[in-house]
Amino acid sequence: MKKELGIYIHIPFCTSRCPYCDFYSNAGCREDEISRYAAAVAAQLVQWSRMCGEYAVDTVYFGGGTPTLLSLRDFGLLMDALGGHYDIEPGAEISCECNTADAEYLRGLRSLGVNRLSIGAQSLDDDELRELGRVHNSADFVRTYNDAREAGFDNISADLMLGIPCQSRESLHMTLERLCALKPEHVSAYCLRIEESTPFGKAVGRLPLPPEDDIAEMYLGTIKFLAGQEIEQYEISNFARAGYECRHNLKYWNCDEYLGFGASAHSFFGSERFSCPRSLERYLGGEYIAGRTKPSPADLETEYVMLAMRRTAGLVADEYVGRFGVDPHEKYRGRFSEFVRRGLVTADMSGYRFTPRGMLVSNTVLSSILDL
Amino acid sequence: MEKTARQKHIRNFSIIAHIDHGKSTLADRLLEATSAVSKRDIKEQLLDSMDLERERGITIKAHAVRLNYTAHDGEVYTLNLIDTPGHVDFNYEVSRSLNACEGALLVVDATQGIEAQTLANAYLAVDANLEIVPVINKIDLPAADIERVRSEIEEIIGIPAEGCPAISAKLGLNIEQVLERIVRDIPPPGGDEEAPLSCLIFDSYYDSYLGVVVYVRVMDGRVRPGDRIMMMSSRKTFEVVDVGIMEPFGLKKRDCLSAGDVGYITASIKNVGDTRVGDTVTSADRPCAAPLPGFKKVNPMVYAGIYPADGARYEDLRDALEKLKLNDASLVFEPETSVALGFGFRCGFLGLLHMEIIEERLEREFGLDLITTAPSVIYEVQCKNRGLLKIDNPTDYPAQDEIERAYEPIVKAGIITPTEFVGGLMELCQERRGVFLDMKYLDPARVELSYRLPLGEIIFDFFDALKSRSRGYASLDYEFDGYAESKLVKLDFLINGEQVDALTFIVHEDKVHALARRIAEKLKENIPRQLFEVPIQAAVGGRIIARETVKALRKDVLAKCYGGDITRKKKLLEKQKEGKKKMRQLGSVQVAPEAFMAVFRLGEED
Repeated sequence: MKKELGIYIHIPFCTSRCPYCDFYSNAGCREDEISRYAAAVAAQLVQWSRMCGEYAVDTVYFGGGTPTLLSLRDFGLLMDALGGHYDIEPGAEISCECNTADAEYLRGLRSLGVNRLSIGAQSLDDDELRELGRVHNSADFVRTYNDAREAGFDNISADLMLGIPCQSRESLHMTLERLCALKPEHVSAYCLRIEESTPFGKAVGRLPLPPEDDIAEMYLGTIKFLAGQEIEQYEISNFARAGYECRHNLKYWNCDEYLGFGASAHSFFGSERFSCPRSLERYLGGEYIAGRTKPSPADLETEYVMLAMRRTAGLVADEYVGRFGVDPHEKYRGRFSEFVRRGLVTADMSGYRFTPRGMLVSNTVLSSILDL
Repeated sequence: MEKTARQKHIRNFSIIAHIDHGKSTLADRLLEATSAVSKRDIKEQLLDSMDLERERGITIKAHAVRLNYTAHDGEVYTLNLIDTPGHVDFNYEVSRSLNACEGALLVVDATQGIEAQTLANAYLAVDANLEIVPVINKIDLPAADIERVRSEIEEIIGIPAEGCPAISAKLGLNIEQVLERIVRDIPPPGGDEEAPLSCLIFDSYYDSYLGVVVYVRVMDGRVRPGDRIMMMSSRKTFEVVDVGIMEPFGLKKRDCLSAGDVGYITASIKNVGDTRVGDTVTSADRPCAAPLPGFKKVNPMVYAGIYPADGARYEDLRDALEKLKLNDASLVFEPETSVALGFGFRCGFLGLLHMEIIEERLEREFGLDLITTAPSVIYEVQCKNRGLLKIDNPTDYPAQDEIERAYEPIVKAGIITPTEFVGGLMELCQERRGVFLDMKYLDPARVELSYRLPLGEIIFDFFDALKSRSRGYASLDYEFDGYAESKLVKLDFLINGEQVDALTFIVHEDKVHALARRIAEKLKENIPRQLFEVPIQAAVGGRIIARETVKALRKDVLAKCYGGDITRKKKLLEKQKEGKKKMRQLGSVQVAPEAFMAVFRLGEED
């Protein structure tokens, strides 16, 4: 029986940079540059396929940047490289991120085998979208969503953002209502994080950000609202109808193996972590590995707890025993007890998990209980 | 008694001035003009050998140097310059240095005129019966007003200033006039070379090869290597190893020091505590009848707790304090433990500047990060059953019902200010519980205010407030003036219901409410939000008089954990954990050292 593998493909291009984003991406690239990049990724896929003989790929994820800046021809090239050199399972989840896309492009993606679409809505309030410096408005999102449905996507996710400048609990509620009316299978809701290196980071004092306590309320309100729509939380920022959890992203939190292709993409494979250089130039020059570490058993244990606790399933005792051969309660019962007492964590024989309030302060809790 | 030919060619003098009036620059020029040092060797302010002294433009320790000058009369004179610290914290040391001299140059800035320390130092010189030679400096500046300053010197200090040297030490202008004045106006030293030995100690320092090097002025008699000497205050005896003189670049051995000379003695002395400034050195075999007048053991006036920010460096801090103590007999310290701050030392200082200097040297020369508590004075408390207690640590202050009477130290402060700021400064003195004594016009534009003020008020940012309310023009000097009964209360703080020992203050009851509110607010701003609500309470004798609340932490920065890059997430947690290690645990609450510092450094602007 083959081991399972996730594949991540990073497309580091955008029509314009959003002022809050610090993911690796390049704005204003020409079509031929993008094509050249796609060819380079195809080459990496071919090269690395040699170490994947014992693996069956059950998830593929095209992320960015904006993967839909790839022409359908270039997209096809990558899908061919995957299909030709990897054992792709018949029921594999093949996701692609997009912002807006036209109907024809979406039909093309679907026919290439992409079966899950993750649309970066961020908000359905046009003022908030302007604050975020997004190039689309809420009507563009709805149109893309409907076109995707028509193109045959039956697994669609929408990204939302909490803590946008000028956002209020009321405006978020409106966004959630409008979104849920479209019946998405999956929702991601991230808190806007101000990164120092971004234009937002430099303007932070002048941004009309909602107060932290309001953002906390927005987060708790979102969990409740989506649950009312039978879209249940399964990770700190991710929500899905039963059976529609993103299998690819779950690999990160489950400490399963994945390979990352393209500039700045990260891998966890064969008990090593490595990443491609965060530079187009170096990547196009054939450099695939910029950083590489082999976590010690203790590191792996810490990483497991850190990542597992992101899930609503939390630290699962049986899973832990299976991985590390010891009972987790001996180490963690005492460490979690203060937080259990404060209602931030629930604990029982089957494991430990954050309550919604606990999720909000998970860093504080984890930095206290982990051996970092 | 007839002076010897040798004595007739000696002049022992000091330079006194208000801070920044150019004392050290003039000293440099005198050294240069007498070719004691060549121009190329002149670092700015040669006598201020500590980096700190050069940077701050202040003299912390007394120094002495011997110059040779060929005067216009063709004779060669030995000029012993004894440089004195210029700050009120070191008044006693100044007075001892002056007693080693026959004269003093009084340097006055031609643009500023007479300031508080000019006056205070001039009075000390008058008390020591010195011949005062006024020198007007900085005449190169456009705002220089030589005539006004000349008449100020005559009218305010009452010494003739007609024809006194008007110089620019910076440009080296008219320096020779100063040297001629020293020779002409300052009397040569007297003293009987045949009488029993008596020397005045005006400074000492520890050298790892020589032991303690004692700077002395020989008043009577002679001292040679091999002599047995005795410190009159302690009656400890030592055998002299070397005697000699202080040249600009080091010590130079001599066979003998005689009455009138300024020089050094080494005698395998291990501890500067045995060579107190002001003490008399005499011969152990043939002691003089009485010690020289004026000796006193100086006692610390200001106390504070000093803790290493990193608790693991406690031993380093102790070693550093011991090293500083080698050269500073007035620094006292003893171990102290605080629940909030860990292991540290309660240190006693002559004053706030002394404290700042010690702190800065610990941080700079020994690379220590410190937490220094708010400074405190010594309170005297008459207890119902324990008698009179001296309290140098607010934590030790007895409970209110045990106290019969409480006393606090008082100073007499002189403030010289341009008239336009008088109103604001009187208000400041009132706010600080001052009692008005006197106001004198020095000239139509400037006045001297005299107030009696509690020392406890002065050490709490008074100087900053004085400067900010006078746009930097007012100057301050003060002297200890005994204890006075006062209505004092002990102000405690509770964080999350637990009393924090490091946050205890002794305050006058009229001011306790305002201070309690200010500190509670500062704490609220500086205590990081915890996973639960943290009440901050200010209490006097169990009664809560101010309250603030640090709201519970609702939300962290929730980073995406996306695209499989878990290293950033891990780093974020590591950083958070690292930050926590520096925190002090107060029961269930974690507080950064910075929070304490913010409270201890409450300033006027708050």
